[in-house]
Amino acid sequence: MTKQTRTVDKMTAPDVRVQPTEPDSAGRQLPGTKSGIEKARIPADMKILIIEDDARMADYVVRGLKEHGHVVDHAANGKDGLFLAAGERYDALIVDRMLPGVDGLTIVKMLRATGNQSPVIFLTTMGGIDDRVEGLNAGADDYLVKPFAFSELLARLGAVLRRPPISQTKTVLRVGDMEMDLLKRTVTRSGRAIDLQPQEFKLLEYLMRSEGRVVTRTMLLENVWDFHFDPQTSIVETHVSRLRAKIDKGFGKELLKTLRGVGYTLRAE
Amino acid sequence: MLNSRIFRTISFQLTALFCLIFAACLVALLFTTYLTTYAALRTQMQTDVRSQLNTLAEEANSDGVDTIIQDIKERTVSAKNSGFYFIGDSSGQKLAGNIDSVAPVDGWSEGTVGEATMAKIGKSPDEDHEIWGQGMHLPGGYFLYVGEDPYRLLAAQESIVDSFLWSAALALLLAVAAGYLASRGFLRRIDDINTTSIAIMDGKLKQRIPVRGTADEIDRLSANLNRLFDSNQSLLESLKQVSSNIAHDLRSPLTRLRQGLEEAKARPASNNSYAKAIDNAIAESDQLLATFAALLRIAQIESGSRKAGFKDVDLSRLFERVAEAYRAVAEDQGKVLLVSVPENVHYFGDGELLLQMIVNLVENAIRHTQAGAQLSLILNTTEAGPRSIIADTGPGIPAEQRGRVFEHFYRLDSSRTSAGNGLGLALVSAIATLHGIQLTLEDNCPGLRIVMAFPPQK
Repeated sequence: MTKQTRTVDKMTAPDVRVQPTEPDSAGRQLPGTKSGIEKARIPADMKILIIEDDARMADYVVRGLKEHGHVVDHAANGKDGLFLAAGERYDALIVDRMLPGVDGLTIVKMLRATGNQSPVIFLTTMGGIDDRVEGLNAGADDYLVKPFAFSELLARLGAVLRRPPISQTKTVLRVGDMEMDLLKRTVTRSGRAIDLQPQEFKLLEYLMRSEGRVVTRTMLLENVWDFHFDPQTSIVETHVSRLRAKIDKGFGKELLKTLRGVGYTLRAE
Repeated sequence: MLNSRIFRTISFQLTALFCLIFAACLVALLFTTYLTTYAALRTQMQTDVRSQLNTLAEEANSDGVDTIIQDIKERTVSAKNSGFYFIGDSSGQKLAGNIDSVAPVDGWSEGTVGEATMAKIGKSPDEDHEIWGQGMHLPGGYFLYVGEDPYRLLAAQESIVDSFLWSAALALLLAVAAGYLASRGFLRRIDDINTTSIAIMDGKLKQRIPVRGTADEIDRLSANLNRLFDSNQSLLESLKQVSSNIAHDLRSPLTRLRQGLEEAKARPASNNSYAKAIDNAIAESDQLLATFAALLRIAQIESGSRKAGFKDVDLSRLFERVAEAYRAVAEDQGKVLLVSVPENVHYFGDGELLLQMIVNLVENAIRHTQAGAQLSLILNTTEAGPRSIIADTGPGIPAEQRGRVFEHFYRLDSSRTSAGNGLGLALVSAIATLHGIQLTLEDNCPGLRIVMAFPPQK
């Protein structure tokens, strides 16, 4: 890692830095990015702003995102962050909550008040139960508590970057030869009806809405079960394997894939 | 011993105030007693004088003036008669009596007589001696006067004043002494409280204020302070316990982490085994972070700040959610989760925390039972409020350890090797306490049965 050079860099260079787009020349990969398929599935060439005062944390995120082909700007304090976020168009913002100058919550509130709808992910040590609600209420799209796995951030970024433009009115979801009717609450694959338990249906619905994207275990817990804590048992694994047995077994082509150490993804190859 | 602090004590000041009030009462009493005795004695004297005068006047009327002149002469020589008499003719010339002259005025008069007169009547010359009396004109221009020495009256007055002065002085002395003693006792007890507090501040946590058992205010104050010290001490002890537990429980994973890294470094190996060592290190540190997160969460719940966010919670729905999530998990491990939840049971609380509480208990039941075990999740309503039972047919918890399983990091020996951070039930206990839910562990014969009694609301 190039932590030392970054720290020196930060002390001498201005706070606002626009990073070049080339991926890390060393070609090193961050944890959880072993799968090449997965890498290709996350949209590249997005313009992302990270507002984070912790130089090491910022460096870790900036390097990782650049490695995935994104353009990354970094602001080390709230004022610069707000200035950049308001002045340029970003595909996504990653914002620390506790910042010198203007705090993260205020930045997001101000951006939303001025009509800026760029997706925002809070990245914070404030992992309190109320803190999350507060952050989401301020207008953030997701909330990730430090410490986090880089793959988790990447997956969540993927989710907010490609959030469908409020197409909740769609009543039929399709992935490959699988079809889900949200009104009739039925699922078919290759025309064959698949009988699902309510939990499995919810799980599949979320996976289908996130088609092609990586979803992590935590994302499933939050969105399918509405559990905002870490259970000690394999609730996600249990339901995923049951769902897989129903939707993939006997159909030849596998739709639901496990990305070891990262999460799951549903896609028709 | 007599230090100035005593005079500044509240009890001394109170005693002094009472003394002043007492003195004022005494003065008022003295004044009224003085006045009433004076008036009574004076009236008695006047009656006495008037009756003598009237007797003499009647005698003069019936038997003539000469008779009473004789009578007066007899009276004045008689030793037992202490009265003063005078009878004169119309020119004021004295005819008889033991007074040389008197102003010929009808009615009551009070005045002083000179030394000469006093000597004459055999009384010691004394300024206090006076003659009070009444005169009247008899037919024929005679003037008759009968008087008495008010010495007794004045003496009585004097003795009243004297006795009052003495008793006042005595009372004052007693009051000061009593005040001093009371203050000293009071001060000693306050000093006890002070020295105990200082000792506790100095770290002698076991010190307590002596209690006399008299149930007075200071005793009650001392007892309450002692109770405060007790709870502080137990809090401190549990805090010490928790921090030493944290230190102990975090040391093992940190040691494992370090050993793993050391081993990987010492033994030159393939990229693959390095990757494995790194994965293990990440897993260990994740476990550590999870433990810290759980500790923070418990601390946050114990701070009570979540109470402000209490809302109406659909307990039925919440239990259903847990049941839906865990039925399959239990099944996959060869266990059965039986659920009995009536509809529409509501409760005012923190939905997310209540959910976590039930989840932790259900997960506990799943994790600590063998395959084939039967788990039940029951919610029902009673007169006293909602009641929930989570029971299993697993190995249970020995009765003597049931009280301890809610402590931070407490783990039964049998579960020490299985996964988990030993904080699950501590979290449950914190959530239950926040909601006032009473948790009881019972024997399910076999297995464990956890009963949650939600307190009644409104």
